[in-house]
Parts: sequence; C-alpha cells; structure tokens
Amino acid sequence: MDCSATLAAPMSFGRRDETRENTVDRERALDRFLAGIERRAFRIACLALRDRAEAEDAVQDAMIRLVRGYGRHPEHQWRPLFYRILKNRITDFQRRRKVRSAVMALWPSHGSEDAAPDPVESAVDPRGSPDQVLEGEELLARIEGLLAAMSGRQREAFLLRNFEGLDIAQTALAMDCSEGSVKTHYFRAMQTLNEALGEWKK
Amino acid sequence: MNEDMRELERRSRAAFDESVESQDAATRSRLARARAKALEELRGRRASGPVLWIPAGAAAAALVAAMLWQREEGVPMSARTEAAVGAFEDLDLMAAGEDFDMLRDDEGFYAWADDQTPDGVG
Repeated sequence: MDCSATLAAPMSFGRRDETRENTVDRERALDRFLAGIERRAFRIACLALRDRAEAEDAVQDAMIRLVRGYGRHPEHQWRPLFYRILKNRITDFQRRRKVRSAVMALWPSHGSEDAAPDPVESAVDPRGSPDQVLEGEELLARIEGLLAAMSGRQREAFLLRNFEGLDIAQTALAMDCSEGSVKTHYFRAMQTLNEALGEWKK
Repeated sequence: MNEDMRELERRSRAAFDESVESQDAATRSRLARARAKALEELRGRRASGPVLWIPAGAAAAALVAAMLWQREEGVPMSARTEAAVGAFEDLDLMAAGEDFDMLRDDEGFYAWADDQTPDGVG
C-alpha cells in the first residue's frame, strides 16, 4: 500500500489551512497598521500638497501599493516603506501640477476654473474658537505656508521627523538618503521656521 | 539645535497632533474606505489567483523562464515551485501597473530589508 498517497492529502490541506490563516493574520495586521497611520499620513500629505483631494488620492495609492507590493515584508518595515511610497506619490502629484500649470499658462483663459474655494477648508469650526486651538491652527497654517516655500527635501525631513515622528534612520530610508542628509535637511528646515516664526514666541 | 528651535519643534508637533485628532468624520470615513479598498484588492488578488492577471507578454516571459528552469538539472521540485510562484507574483505586480520608480535606486534599502528578514523570507 502506498502510504505516501494517503498521507499527502491531509498534509497538503493542513499546509493550505496554515497558509490561509497566515494570510488572514497578515491582512488583519495590515488593517491595523493602515488604520493607525492613515490620519497622520493624510495630514502630512495635505501639508505637502495643500490640496485635500490630491492628498486623499496619494494616501489611497500609497495604501494600495504597500498592500500590493510589500504586504509580505516584515511589519517593522511597513512604516518607512509606506512613507517612501507616499513621498513618491506626492512628488508625482507635484510634477503633474507643474506640467498642468505650464500647459495652463499657454491658455490663461482656462486658469480660473479651479479658483473656487474649498468648502471644507472655508467651513466655520462648529467648536467655536477657543484660544488654544486657534493658536495651534494658526501656527500650523503658518508652517504650512513656509513649508511650501522650502526645498522638497527640507519639507520631507521636517514632516517625517517632527510630525510623523520617524527616527533618523527611518527618515533616511523613507527619503532614500543618508542619515547625515536627514540631519542637515531637518536642521535647515527648523532654522528657516524658527527665523520666520519669530513672533510666535511670547 | 538651540532652545528656541526645540520649543518650536514641540509646539508645532502639538499643533499637528491636534489637527489630526480634530479631523472631521467625513475625512475619517473616506480614509477608512480607502483602507478597505486597499485590503479588498488583496482579497481579490488572492481569490482570482495571480496567473489570471498576467497579460500575454508577461505570460510569455514566464513561459520562457519556466522552460529554462526545466533544463536545469539537480534543482529540487520544491525549490522550482517556490521560484516559479515568486516569479509569477513579481509578474503580477508588473501586470497590475505598479511603476518601479521606487525600486530603481533602492539597493541600500533592500540590503537593509534583507538584513531584517530572517531566512530571506519576504
């Protein structure tokens, strides 16, 4: 009697069940990871792009690409990987915008179509205007304006280090540069902000 | 960094955290939908199987690769199968329209990633 034939089936089912279980675990882990990161990632994308719709698209693309391409990587790699993907998506949007502006400059009459204010941005805050919140929002709005004028690398270093809280090594991986470059870009960004925001000090 | 910069760092981070916490329900809901969509894609890919998504060109490349493997002697079947599955998954990524801008200049990152991964898995 060929025992291998009778044993092979249950073993392969067992292996398949185990694989399915691992995949479900991985999916749950990805869900937890994305749920924990999505709101901060969206705010960071908003600050980099200054456009909520584009920021949403960039975050969604980054989620899909992470799941599709790197879901099987170890969990501790997901965060720098996700931010590297998001950084690339943000750069894509910025490039596209430059091309669009160049094209629009040739036909200036079409430029006014996007001029309507964002109704979400201009909505009145239903919580009223407590001083502390206003101070924080005002500071953030000023930082947003200053970030837009910075080099892309300084902006990325500031957003990833200070707002997302990545350490220097993770920031270097997300930005695809050396740790020394991260330190330099971050310091310059902080210096620029500190000089420009002198009046926030009381 | 001097003390002023440290204080600015702290206050700006607090302002950012506050803005994250106060995100409106509509935004949260859209982000949750985006996450669900990303995970749905993972389930869809699992259910349909990667081979179905491979366009003709990629399938031809896979076939050539498979023929070359067949010619190698002394390679155990399990290793061949594993390699073939890996190749199909890579092709699936290409077929799904993933651009490889990110991967092009990333030797350093992937060397690091390999170091983090036990037994070269992942």
